[in-house]
Amino acid sequence: MVRYYCTAGNGMESFLVEEVKKKLAARDVHQIPGKVLFSSSATIHRVCDLKAAERLFLLLKQDSPVGMSTHTSPAKTASVLRSRLLGDRRQWLRAVMTWSRLQGELAASRSAVTASTTHGVREKGRESERQSDEGKKCRQESRKRSHSFTAEESDEKRQRGREQIRRHALELEKDDDVKESEEVCATYSKKELEQNVESYSKNMKNMDDLGEDASLESVENVSFRINCKCSGSLSRCVGAQEVSKVMGVGLSKLLGWKADLKNPKLEISVFLSDDYSLLGIPLTRLPLANRSYIKSTGLRSTIAWAMASLAQIQPGFCIVDPMCGVGTILIEAANEHKAACFLGVDIDDGQLHKADENIAFAELQGRVHLLKASSKALPLPSASVDAVVCDLPFGRKFSTRVNMADNLPLILSEMERVLCVGGTLVVLLSPQLSCLLKKLLSHTHSGPKGSKEDESQTGIKNCLVSSSEQQISQIKSSSSQETLTISSLRHQTTLRVSLGAIDGLIHKYIKTPD
Amino acid sequence: MSHQCHPEVILATEVKVNEVEFNPKFVCRMIPKLEWSTLVQAADQLGHREELPGELVPDYEKNEDFLKKVHRVLLEVEVIEGCLQCPESGREFPISKGIPNMLLNEDEA
Repeated sequence: MVRYYCTAGNGMESFLVEEVKKKLAARDVHQIPGKVLFSSSATIHRVCDLKAAERLFLLLKQDSPVGMSTHTSPAKTASVLRSRLLGDRRQWLRAVMTWSRLQGELAASRSAVTASTTHGVREKGRESERQSDEGKKCRQESRKRSHSFTAEESDEKRQRGREQIRRHALELEKDDDVKESEEVCATYSKKELEQNVESYSKNMKNMDDLGEDASLESVENVSFRINCKCSGSLSRCVGAQEVSKVMGVGLSKLLGWKADLKNPKLEISVFLSDDYSLLGIPLTRLPLANRSYIKSTGLRSTIAWAMASLAQIQPGFCIVDPMCGVGTILIEAANEHKAACFLGVDIDDGQLHKADENIAFAELQGRVHLLKASSKALPLPSASVDAVVCDLPFGRKFSTRVNMADNLPLILSEMERVLCVGGTLVVLLSPQLSCLLKKLLSHTHSGPKGSKEDESQTGIKNCLVSSSEQQISQIKSSSSQETLTISSLRHQTTLRVSLGAIDGLIHKYIKTPD
Repeated sequence: MSHQCHPEVILATEVKVNEVEFNPKFVCRMIPKLEWSTLVQAADQLGHREELPGELVPDYEKNEDFLKKVHRVLLEVEVIEGCLQCPESGREFPISKGIPNMLLNEDEA
């Protein structure tokens, strides 16, 4: 069981809490603004696969806030910080050991992925990952991994290092102690990257004597950097630089580590607020929110994922994004739901082209399709899709010719039309559009509001949905009272999420029988 | 070739076959959503019927060979260039770079 914490965008914490419980069987899940703390025994790969999180950290210490006032003298401040933040030497050593082990596991899978120039090899890499997931015996795995490494040998030096490691691993295979060989598996690939076979075997022997003085050897000469953030009224009493300095000096004394601002082995993150003190070590260089499978991004991937998670997608569902842009929501949803079919509609060729590239890059062709059409006249039969998910373009990023506010009623009535009864609608809107939408759906019985545009487009519908002409005439009659049509949407929830410069609102509706 | 364009006649000038990982669960879930005759007709037009029978076979869930054929037609055969034609109005909707354009006029936005 390892205790982690993740940072999350404003409004994303609740999604992350649900996700860690569901996917990682996490325990002691604790939510604070912008962060979620949890314990899990899931493999590091599965933890790194979290979709609602921004960054992942190994938790070093979670504590009550550092009490300080503006009158505290600098010397006193330093001593308070030291006693509160540095603490027990063993705690640091243990944390660094765990961090090293997790890094090793991550490096192992990275190498397996880089080795995957051909499909077959990649399958092997995946297979070995799966096996470690299932906690199968390590020797099989290490054989497979070594195999995939040799498949991509390029650097002579590294090859030699690997050979040694492999020999070493093979030797250990003879040993019947599975637990020990598991640890070999976890560490050897990391060291393979560092090309430091000699010290590696030392470390490995020391693994078992955790907390003993002998283990110091493996965590000696650690170079580190402190990354500190102070917030709230505390930030008026003590500066981030000051904290970093006190801790830097303290850690050097306590553990003999060396501060290195440029290229440290270890980064230590310190968050001090009026509500808590949090110390951790980042586990990945890039944020988890940077998706390896997306080429060009539109909407923030975490929010796209959260919207898809609200859509209650089931196997066999057909999901439409009527203004798909570069397809971020569809890709996030299709990656999560392997037995559902997705359709992206957009009117802009440039966006569709990028979406097409993204879908191919994510290897989702066949399950995610694209159509060029207007969101005001979707070329789809009525009641034909199970969920509609859409980020309605707004703001500075999209200088659309279309005035979204004017078109919202028509776009919404089209979304409602294509949804089946019981289907879910999830939309992301600006605060302004959110207010408009609320008004639109509350005035369900305001007078008829004609739409010339719809008349002119009925031709397309007629043509494409020729089998359901009756439905068309229904739409035609209902669109003259479009607010009435929309009355079938029952509001479920509204959530505020941060989009960076501004906030967005996610609305969720379920279509009910009229 | 999802179900949404089933009333169409497909006129293809360039067809590509992509290799897509076979996911029997997905194919099983999609079959009930398809109009079988339309799928077969469309596949036929593209020259990729893959010996699919005119009638949907019973117990297809366990018939891997059959599911693989449907998988091919449904997921792997892609029209890159061509058009969709409405049999009633004769109107054509061009397919360019694999994306059908369902707009009537470009100024529709």
